[in-house]
Amino acid sequence: MIVRLVVACALTLGSLAPLSGAVASASPGHATAHAAKHHKKRHHHKRHHGIPQHNGGDHDADNNGGPSDGDGNT
Amino acid sequence: MATATPSRLVPAAALTAALALAGCGGAARPRSAASPFAWLRPAAAPSSWNVGRLPSGAASFAYPPGWHSIRTDPGTFSAALTGPGHRIRGYLNETPQSGDETLANWGTFRVAHNREEGDRQVVRESTAAGVRFRSGVGSCVTDRYATTTGAHYREIACIVRGARGTTVIVAAAPPSDWSRLAPQLRRSVASFA
Repeated sequence: MIVRLVVACALTLGSLAPLSGAVASASPGHATAHAAKHHKKRHHHKRHHGIPQHNGGDHDADNNGGPSDGDGNT
Repeated sequence: MATATPSRLVPAAALTAALALAGCGGAARPRSAASPFAWLRPAAAPSSWNVGRLPSGAASFAYPPGWHSIRTDPGTFSAALTGPGHRIRGYLNETPQSGDETLANWGTFRVAHNREEGDRQVVRESTAAGVRFRSGVGSCVTDRYATTTGAHYREIACIVRGARGTTVIVAAAPPSDWSRLAPQLRRSVASFA
Protein backbone atom coordinates (compact mmCIF):
# COMPACT_ATOMS: atom_id res chain seq x y z
CA MET A 1 0.00 0.00 0.00
CA ILE A 2 2.79 2.38 0.91
CA VAL A 3 4.54 1.60 -2.32
CA ARG A 4 1.36 2.22 -4.27
CA LEU A 5 0.78 5.51 -2.46
CA VAL A 6 4.28 6.73 -3.24
CA VAL A 7 3.90 5.78 -6.87
CA ALA A 8 0.53 7.49 -7.04
CA CYS A 9 1.95 10.64 -5.50
CA ALA A 10 4.84 10.70 -7.94
CA LEU A 11 2.61 10.13 -10.93
CA THR A 12 0.10 12.72 -9.83
CA LEU A 13 2.70 15.35 -9.07
CA GLY A 14 4.33 14.64 -12.40
CA SER A 15 1.07 15.19 -14.18
CA LEU A 16 0.34 18.37 -12.23
CA ALA A 17 3.78 19.92 -12.71
CA PRO A 18 3.17 21.34 -16.19
CA LEU A 19 0.09 23.11 -14.87
CA SER A 20 1.93 25.10 -12.23
CA GLY A 21 2.86 28.73 -12.89
CA ALA A 22 5.80 30.59 -11.39
CA VAL A 23 7.87 28.17 -9.40
CA ALA A 24 10.76 28.09 -7.01
CA SER A 25 12.94 25.15 -6.18
CA ALA A 26 16.19 24.15 -4.53
CA SER A 27 18.34 21.34 -5.83
CA PRO A 28 21.94 20.29 -6.46
CA GLY A 29 21.43 20.82 -10.17
CA HIS A 30 23.97 18.37 -11.55
CA ALA A 31 21.60 16.33 -13.67
CA THR A 32 19.79 19.30 -15.16
CA ALA A 33 23.03 21.13 -15.87
CA HIS A 34 24.09 18.22 -18.06
CA ALA A 35 20.97 18.66 -20.14
CA ALA A 36 21.63 22.37 -20.52
CA LYS A 37 25.10 21.71 -21.88
CA HIS A 38 23.67 19.56 -24.62
CA HIS A 39 21.05 22.18 -25.38
CA LYS A 40 23.71 24.81 -25.71
CA LYS A 41 25.93 22.76 -27.98
CA ARG A 42 23.05 22.12 -30.35
CA HIS A 43 22.50 25.83 -30.83
CA HIS A 44 25.91 27.36 -31.45
CA HIS A 45 24.53 29.19 -34.47
CA LYS A 46 22.19 31.22 -32.28
CA ARG A 47 24.95 33.00 -30.35
CA HIS A 48 25.47 36.66 -30.89
CA HIS A 49 26.92 39.73 -29.19
CA GLY A 50 30.22 37.88 -28.69
CA ILE A 51 32.07 38.90 -25.56
CA PRO A 52 35.65 37.67 -25.22
CA GLN A 53 36.41 35.19 -22.45
CA HIS A 54 39.51 33.67 -20.91
CA ASN A 55 41.36 36.97 -20.82
CA GLY A 56 40.39 37.62 -24.38
CA GLY A 57 41.89 41.07 -24.57
CA ASP A 58 39.94 42.93 -21.93
CA HIS A 59 41.66 41.47 -18.84
CA ASP A 60 38.53 41.84 -16.76
CA ALA A 61 38.02 40.13 -13.42
CA ASP A 62 35.92 37.34 -14.86
CA ASN A 63 38.82 36.25 -17.04
CA ASN A 64 41.39 36.30 -14.27
CA GLY A 65 39.92 34.11 -11.58
CA GLY A 66 37.42 36.65 -10.32
CA PRO A 67 33.67 36.14 -9.98
CA SER A 68 31.79 35.00 -13.07
CA ASP A 69 30.08 37.78 -14.96
CA GLY A 70 26.75 37.58 -16.73
CA ASP A 71 28.16 36.69 -20.12
CA GLY A 72 26.27 33.80 -21.68
CA ASN A 73 29.04 32.91 -24.10
CA THR A 74 31.58 30.23 -23.35
CA MET B 1 -7.54 -9.78 -13.08
CA ALA B 2 -9.91 -7.28 -11.51
CA THR B 3 -10.94 -4.34 -13.65
CA ALA B 4 -11.83 -0.95 -12.18
CA THR B 5 -15.17 0.48 -13.25
CA PRO B 6 -15.57 4.18 -14.05
CA SER B 7 -17.53 4.71 -10.84
CA ARG B 8 -14.55 3.45 -8.85
CA LEU B 9 -11.96 5.32 -10.89
CA VAL B 10 -13.35 8.79 -10.21
CA PRO B 11 -13.11 8.64 -6.40
CA ALA B 12 -9.73 6.95 -6.67
CA ALA B 13 -8.38 9.69 -8.90
CA ALA B 14 -9.77 12.38 -6.59
CA LEU B 15 -8.22 10.69 -3.57
CA THR B 16 -4.86 10.38 -5.28
CA ALA B 17 -4.87 14.05 -6.25
CA ALA B 18 -5.84 15.08 -2.73
CA LEU B 19 -3.09 12.98 -1.22
CA ALA B 20 -0.58 14.40 -3.66
CA LEU B 21 -1.48 17.98 -2.81
CA ALA B 22 -1.72 17.43 0.92
CA GLY B 23 1.09 15.05 1.63
CA CYS B 24 3.55 14.77 -1.23
CA GLY B 25 5.63 17.88 -0.76
CA GLY B 26 3.09 20.66 -0.62
CA ALA B 27 2.86 21.40 -4.32
CA ALA B 28 -0.04 23.74 -3.66
CA ARG B 29 1.81 25.93 -1.19
CA PRO B 30 1.68 29.66 -1.93
CA ARG B 31 4.76 30.76 -3.87
CA SER B 32 5.70 33.45 -1.39
CA ALA B 33 6.11 30.91 1.39
CA ALA B 34 8.46 28.74 -0.62
CA SER B 35 10.39 31.24 -2.74
CA PRO B 36 14.07 31.59 -1.93
CA PHE B 37 13.83 35.07 -3.43
CA ALA B 38 11.11 36.42 -1.17
CA TRP B 39 13.65 39.00 -0.03
CA LEU B 40 13.61 40.60 -3.50
CA ARG B 41 11.31 43.57 -3.26
CA PRO B 42 11.90 45.84 -6.27
CA ALA B 43 12.81 49.33 -5.08
CA ALA B 44 15.10 52.22 -5.84
CA ALA B 45 18.26 52.33 -3.74
CA PRO B 46 19.14 55.23 -1.40
CA SER B 47 20.12 58.44 -3.17
CA SER B 48 23.64 58.15 -1.76
CA TRP B 49 24.26 55.05 -3.88
CA ASN B 50 25.84 55.29 -7.33
CA VAL B 51 24.11 54.05 -10.44
CA GLY B 52 25.82 51.80 -12.97
CA ARG B 53 24.27 51.73 -16.43
CA LEU B 54 24.87 49.55 -19.43
CA PRO B 55 26.58 51.55 -22.21
CA SER B 56 23.41 51.00 -24.25
CA GLY B 57 21.33 52.53 -21.48
CA ALA B 58 19.05 49.51 -21.50
CA ALA B 59 19.48 48.62 -17.82
CA SER B 60 20.98 49.87 -14.57
CA PHE B 61 21.49 49.02 -10.91
CA ALA B 62 22.61 50.95 -7.89
CA TYR B 63 25.76 50.11 -5.95
CA PRO B 64 26.80 51.24 -2.49
CA PRO B 65 29.23 54.00 -1.56
CA GLY B 66 32.74 52.59 -1.27
CA TRP B 67 32.26 50.34 -4.26
CA HIS B 68 33.75 51.36 -7.61
CA SER B 69 33.37 50.49 -11.27
CA ILE B 70 35.94 48.03 -12.60
CA ARG B 71 37.20 46.87 -15.95
CA THR B 72 34.59 44.74 -17.63
CA ASP B 73 33.61 43.24 -20.97
CA PRO B 74 32.53 45.64 -23.71
CA GLY B 75 28.85 46.48 -23.49
CA THR B 76 28.62 45.54 -19.82
CA PHE B 77 29.01 47.25 -16.45
CA SER B 78 30.71 45.90 -13.31
CA ALA B 79 31.28 47.34 -9.85
CA ALA B 80 33.26 45.87 -7.00
CA LEU B 81 34.24 46.25 -3.39
CA THR B 82 37.92 45.44 -3.32
CA GLY B 83 40.22 44.55 -0.48
CA PRO B 84 43.99 44.33 -0.03
CA GLY B 85 45.78 43.28 -3.20
CA HIS B 86 42.77 44.30 -5.30
CA ARG B 87 41.03 41.15 -4.13
CA ILE B 88 37.35 41.29 -5.05
CA ARG B 89 35.20 41.01 -1.94
CA GLY B 90 31.94 42.08 -3.50
CA TYR B 91 31.00 42.01 -7.18
CA LEU B 92 28.10 43.31 -9.26
CA ASN B 93 27.72 42.95 -13.00
CA GLU B 94 25.08 43.56 -15.63
CA THR B 95 25.40 42.08 -19.10
CA PRO B 96 23.02 42.07 -22.05
CA GLN B 97 21.73 38.66 -23.08
CA SER B 98 24.60 37.31 -25.17
CA GLY B 99 24.11 33.59 -25.74
CA ASP B 100 21.50 30.90 -25.37
CA GLU B 101 20.43 31.98 -21.89
CA THR B 102 16.70 32.52 -21.46
CA LEU B 103 14.27 32.98 -18.60
CA ALA B 104 13.09 29.43 -19.20
CA ASN B 105 16.48 27.70 -19.05
CA TRP B 106 18.21 29.98 -16.57
CA GLY B 107 18.03 27.56 -13.65
CA THR B 108 20.23 25.09 -15.49
CA PHE B 109 22.03 27.38 -17.91
CA ARG B 110 23.82 29.49 -15.31
CA VAL B 111 25.46 26.67 -13.38
CA ALA B 112 26.34 24.83 -16.61
CA HIS B 113 27.88 28.02 -17.97
CA ASN B 114 29.96 28.54 -14.87
CA ARG B 115 31.31 24.99 -15.21
CA GLU B 116 32.10 25.57 -18.87
CA GLU B 117 34.08 28.66 -17.95
CA GLY B 118 36.29 26.57 -15.69
CA ASP B 119 34.64 27.09 -12.32
CA ARG B 120 34.77 24.05 -10.07
CA GLN B 121 32.63 22.73 -7.24
CA VAL B 122 29.65 24.52 -8.76
CA VAL B 123 26.62 23.91 -6.60
CA ARG B 124 23.20 25.34 -7.33
CA GLU B 125 21.44 26.30 -4.12
CA SER B 126 18.11 27.57 -5.39
CA THR B 127 16.30 28.79 -8.45
CA ALA B 128 13.06 30.61 -9.15
CA ALA B 129 11.04 31.85 -12.09
CA GLY B 130 8.49 34.62 -12.29
CA VAL B 131 10.55 36.95 -10.08
CA ARG B 132 9.42 40.56 -10.29
CA PHE B 133 11.85 43.42 -10.89
CA ARG B 134 11.31 47.15 -11.30
CA SER B 135 11.52 46.89 -15.08
CA GLY B 136 10.13 43.44 -15.77
CA VAL B 137 10.14 39.83 -14.76
CA GLY B 138 13.00 37.41 -14.41
CA SER B 139 14.44 34.09 -13.36
CA CYS B 140 17.04 33.81 -10.61
CA VAL B 141 19.61 31.36 -9.30
CA THR B 142 21.81 31.24 -6.25
CA ASP B 143 24.89 29.08 -6.45
CA ARG B 144 28.45 28.81 -5.26
CA TYR B 145 31.67 27.86 -6.99
CA ALA B 146 35.45 28.03 -6.97
CA THR B 147 37.17 29.92 -9.79
CA THR B 148 40.21 28.80 -11.74
CA THR B 149 42.43 30.50 -9.17
CA GLY B 150 40.77 28.74 -6.26
CA ALA B 151 38.79 31.76 -5.07
CA HIS B 152 35.37 30.80 -3.72
CA TYR B 153 32.27 32.82 -4.44
CA ARG B 154 28.58 32.65 -3.79
CA GLU B 155 26.31 34.45 -6.24
CA ILE B 156 22.83 35.65 -7.02
CA ALA B 157 22.36 35.60 -10.79
CA CYS B 158 19.18 36.73 -12.49
CA ILE B 159 18.07 37.18 -16.08
CA VAL B 160 15.46 39.88 -16.47
CA ARG B 161 13.25 40.61 -19.45
CA GLY B 162 12.30 44.26 -19.60
CA ALA B 163 10.88 46.65 -22.14
CA ARG B 164 14.37 47.63 -23.34
CA GLY B 165 15.83 44.16 -23.60
CA THR B 166 16.88 41.09 -21.65
CA THR B 167 19.75 41.53 -19.22
CA VAL B 168 21.65 39.41 -16.72
CA ILE B 169 22.57 40.79 -13.31
CA VAL B 170 25.08 39.04 -11.07
CA ALA B 171 25.87 39.78 -7.42
CA ALA B 172 28.68 37.79 -5.80
CA ALA B 173 30.87 37.65 -2.71
CA PRO B 174 33.10 35.10 -1.02
CA PRO B 175 31.15 32.83 1.34
CA SER B 176 33.18 34.22 4.23
CA ASP B 177 31.89 37.74 3.50
CA TRP B 178 28.39 36.74 2.46
CA SER B 179 26.56 37.41 5.69
CA ARG B 180 28.04 40.89 5.87
CA LEU B 181 27.60 41.85 2.22
CA ALA B 182 24.37 40.07 1.34
CA PRO B 183 22.14 42.99 2.40
CA GLN B 184 23.99 45.32 0.01
CA LEU B 185 24.07 42.77 -2.80
CA ARG B 186 20.36 42.13 -2.44
CA ARG B 187 19.58 45.83 -2.37
CA SER B 188 21.51 46.29 -5.60
CA VAL B 189 19.67 43.42 -7.27
CA ALA B 190 16.37 44.84 -6.06
CA SER B 191 17.27 48.21 -7.60
CA PHE B 192 17.85 46.68 -11.03
CA ALA B 193 15.78 48.43 -13.67
